[in-house]
Amino acid sequence: MNILLLSLILCLSIFSLFAKDLLNSIIALSAISILSSLLFALLRAPDVAITEAAVGAGVSTIIYVWAIRHTKRKDLEK
Amino acid sequence: MIIERILIFLIFITGFIGLISMKNIIKKIIGLNLLSSSIVLLFILEASRIGDEAPFLDDKVQNIVDPIPQALMLTAIVIGVCVTALSLAMAVRLYKTTGSLDITIIKERLENDC
Amino acid sequence: MNKRRIFKIFLTTFIISFTILPIILSNSSWPTLARDYLFMHAFDETGASNTVSSIYLGYRLIDTLGETLVLFVAITGTMSILLNLHKQVLQGVETQSSLPPEKRAKNALRTNLVEVVASKLGPIILLFGLYVMLYGHKSPGGGFQGGVILASAIVFLALSTVVKTKLTNSNVLSRIESISFLSLILVTTYVVFFPNGFFRNIATNNSFASATMIIILNIMIGLKVGTSLAVMIIAMMGGQHDY
Repeated sequence: MNILLLSLILCLSIFSLFAKDLLNSIIALSAISILSSLLFALLRAPDVAITEAAVGAGVSTIIYVWAIRHTKRKDLEK
Repeated sequence: MIIERILIFLIFITGFIGLISMKNIIKKIIGLNLLSSSIVLLFILEASRIGDEAPFLDDKVQNIVDPIPQALMLTAIVIGVCVTALSLAMAVRLYKTTGSLDITIIKERLENDC
Repeated sequence: MNKRRIFKIFLTTFIISFTILPIILSNSSWPTLARDYLFMHAFDETGASNTVSSIYLGYRLIDTLGETLVLFVAITGTMSILLNLHKQVLQGVETQSSLPPEKRAKNALRTNLVEVVASKLGPIILLFGLYVMLYGHKSPGGGFQGGVILASAIVFLALSTVVKTKLTNSNVLSRIESISFLSLILVTTYVVFFPNGFFRNIATNNSFASATMIIILNIMIGLKVGTSLAVMIIAMMGGQHDY
């Protein structure tokens, strides 16, 4: 179960670095946060799980969405 | 046991390569975030090997997990979000000054102006 | 140029991987001395049965004070960049004009889904955040966790157009933050004048009163972290919720 969650986190992290639309990579980052919060709860660490869920999927995603709203949303790399 | 450590090492390398080789500033900041998250995963994984139960003292628990790395990682997560917020504010400021999010274009526009 | 760049990236990654490879490939066992000591003595010395809370609010309180200070500095820096965003523009470069904040009528409803979630779920999450904050010494939770959930609840209340409270007013929130930060500093540094040292419990024999210190610290940390994060996010959204 740990190995499955860790390999999903690895695939999502590679996707979030190579996406053309920045909103897709922000959603992948939020999914990484939720999966690692689940992994912390399975590894007997409930305090860290609550903190990672509230901070990673809450505050951090809001700040990223604000940043791409005031700049460009597409990443047109040559 | 060693497979999980190798996967965490690959996440670390992914975050590091994202930090140094991507041209968009927002993707560099995403790489920094991934770097910090992978180290938090490594510490919590190592702390959970020496026990069976969550670290709450009760009458029935006997073999608890090590609570010290969990207390350290609480601080690490909060500091990670602080660094992300400040660096994203600086990225938006750079965009307003130069008009682009690409670091090569930013560098030549700032050199032409000074 | 492309081949040289790939070679440089590969060489840097190869060198950096030597810093973390000894941890990956090591075989030594994790030491158990600290866990045994905390198992025996954490409840008697600090009054908390959550051992993680007893570490960062009991034995190592100065680290928590430093972390609160780092959060305060980061939020101050972000707000100061935020409020001066439209000042100077480089000469001769066309920048794409940013969207003006929240350009819609004040009594227009949003879509039904966002309106229901934001206005009906907001007070429930507020109550849940207070619960997580106050029970930090017995169940998972504590100051930081409750504070971030409180900030999310205040952002929900600010997203809706039906609910009009004083909790989304920036002046009220910053006054709460100042009072709680000042009392946190006073509570943690008053023990300089006592001969017992930095943070010892006043009443360790009486197990009812020794958890009081942890509850007071949790409330102050939670209020400070929650309200300062909420002020920053409301300023990011345009800052027009002064009812």
